[in-house]
Amino acid sequence: MNIDVAKRIPLITLVGPPNSGKTTLFNYLSGKNFKTVNYPGSTVEYYTCKIQDKYNIDANLLDSPGIISLNPNSPDEEVTVNSLYNHPEFGVPDLVIATADASQLSRHLLLTKQLLTAGFRVLLVLTMRDLLEKKGLKVNTDKLSKLLRCDVVIVNGRTGKGIDELITTIERNLKEIDTKNHSEPYSISDQLSKENLLNLYSEIESLTRAVIEPIDFPDLEKVNKNIKILNPVLQEPSLQPDLFTLKLDKVLLHRKYGLLFFFLIMTTMFTSIFWLADPFMTLVDDFFSYLAQTSSAFLGNTWYSHLISDGLISGTGSVLVFLPQILILFLILGLLEDTGYLARGAMMIDKPLSKIGLNGKSFVPMLSGFACAIPAMLAARTISNKRERLLTIFIIPLMSCSARLPVYVLLVAFLTPSDKPWFGGILLASIYVFSIISSIIVASLINKFSKKLIRTEDNSSFILELPAYRIPKLKVVLKNSYINALHYIKRAGPIILVLSLIIWFLTYMPNHSPQIDTAGLNQQEIIQLEKSERLATSYAAELGKSIQPIMTPLGMDWRIGVSLIAAFAAREVFVSSLALIFRVTDDENIQSSLLTAMQNAKNQQTGEPLFTTATVIGLVVFFVFALQCISTIAVSRKETGGWRIPMLQLIIFTSTAYLFTLITVNGLKLLGIN
Amino acid sequence: MKTAAELKHGEKARISDINSDNPSYKRLIEIGFTPGQEIELVNTSVFDDPMAFSIRGTLIAIRRNEADCIILS
Repeated sequence: MNIDVAKRIPLITLVGPPNSGKTTLFNYLSGKNFKTVNYPGSTVEYYTCKIQDKYNIDANLLDSPGIISLNPNSPDEEVTVNSLYNHPEFGVPDLVIATADASQLSRHLLLTKQLLTAGFRVLLVLTMRDLLEKKGLKVNTDKLSKLLRCDVVIVNGRTGKGIDELITTIERNLKEIDTKNHSEPYSISDQLSKENLLNLYSEIESLTRAVIEPIDFPDLEKVNKNIKILNPVLQEPSLQPDLFTLKLDKVLLHRKYGLLFFFLIMTTMFTSIFWLADPFMTLVDDFFSYLAQTSSAFLGNTWYSHLISDGLISGTGSVLVFLPQILILFLILGLLEDTGYLARGAMMIDKPLSKIGLNGKSFVPMLSGFACAIPAMLAARTISNKRERLLTIFIIPLMSCSARLPVYVLLVAFLTPSDKPWFGGILLASIYVFSIISSIIVASLINKFSKKLIRTEDNSSFILELPAYRIPKLKVVLKNSYINALHYIKRAGPIILVLSLIIWFLTYMPNHSPQIDTAGLNQQEIIQLEKSERLATSYAAELGKSIQPIMTPLGMDWRIGVSLIAAFAAREVFVSSLALIFRVTDDENIQSSLLTAMQNAKNQQTGEPLFTTATVIGLVVFFVFALQCISTIAVSRKETGGWRIPMLQLIIFTSTAYLFTLITVNGLKLLGIN
Repeated sequence: MKTAAELKHGEKARISDINSDNPSYKRLIEIGFTPGQEIELVNTSVFDDPMAFSIRGTLIAIRRNEADCIILS
């Protein structure tokens, strides 16, 4: 949309401090007709929509990340503030709706006052009146409106009460714009000195004192409460934080048990991502397998049939199979955030994380990384310091994501003696512990060299409001999870699809109809044999053979190389391509036949067993470190705004993986473990 | 000169100034740490850092080095 067209439709921008009820208001005004857009030239996202049809206002509505003042503190805030003055796509807003928490008036009016000073046309929306009422207080909106010289409306975020009045007020404001000439807003950056800020605050304080009044309660008990709250010593109303929050914090932020609760909550969340998502992932997986089988049965044994079933449908399936995990992850994170706990978690873990150049706010993204690196990288946006955000994104691929699990399961099964199944569980747990420890080491190493790797200024801080505990609004959380899941598909989908088509081409061509001896084989076995013959003579195999020199030092041959190449699209492909290359045709029990095939496989160069304890442990090490996920690379590029960081990740993690595998395999051989 | 970093649990004090040497001082003012305001240390993390203060009816967690630039009267 160009500015000329946009000018004809008025633009309303929503701004407000974090936790001021901005998102709820946006949801009310937008209905469901919003879309997410990136600010041109940056990774910061905003939502834009037309105001819901039922309100009958023809206007664009723009929502952006919360800001505390017009003095930006992070790259994200900078984009938001700049866009207020002149949005690259929409221009200057005709009306700014500023939200403020009524129980936090003295803090939240700072932004409103700055907006008014800068010459914006402002409509102030007060939210969370209920929190203020709990303290026996109310805001005199008429007085506030007169003192501020802008319209003030109270909206209840839970019930939607006040929306109608807001709509009428918006309409009146937009009409006045048509009749009045309003001047362009100007920058107030010269007014942001310490002195001016303090003056502004004392102005707001006297204003707040003038507009906050006690509620006239008919019953005596509440009046008594009022008197207690309006303690004459404090002289200012509403100074007490929520009492329930203070009590709960005594437990959840306890100096001894706080961390215990923290780990308990995080472990519950982390494990539930796996077990809650598992049946749904199987369902998605089954659905796409069924779709692939049906289409291949329908189209016959032709190249385009394979393209559609193996390339297109399986490619789409590999994008969507992680969707349940991502939805559940965002759902749990959203619920935790909405209750107010997440900010506490970030506070508790800030100190140890700051030691390795991260921030308390890095923890949630890192934890999400155990499910999938993609939503984890998106979650890193909450970190305001750019250097810490980039470092967080940098190490996220080292968190052992769920795509590694099928690979680990296979390799662990190989190493586990059949009479000691418990050994497998210990091995798997050790792999996770190993990956956590190694990512901590890598993070601190990267942090040491990060001045060179991540070029940006260092001004680390941790200033975070701990919002009052609240019962989460399920509707809002569900909606946000849905939006985030949609993001995942939009961001990762197209790239994974294109690359899985390329991988399909490399593993399918040029020998797409191989000659095999079909004597004594059933249809299923013929198809499987064709597949493996095709793979063994494909471009991918040639690629695998060309990397033989780097596989030899690892005690492996080109066949593992091909599987590793295929696994660069997505790790879990490793298992299926091994099955293909070792001609495992038993569809019923792939794992056990694959294990037998692996035990019997001989290194084509040396004639020694290909899979030994040493090489299999080596492969585990490789999968712990290597960045073998195209979607991660794609999202890393989007989130960091360039190819520099994803390429560094790819090179550093993959070469580390190779080096450590080399050391592991040869070290174990030297120790006589083979 | 006492700073907010030296407060004990449950101890209240009034802010007298914000030291502008700290790079975060403006943000601290913007978020509500202004002279004349009463603050109370309500919680600290298990690692003693960050610290959570009650101010202007809300709780705000800041790092110890940031609390150190909040000068108390």
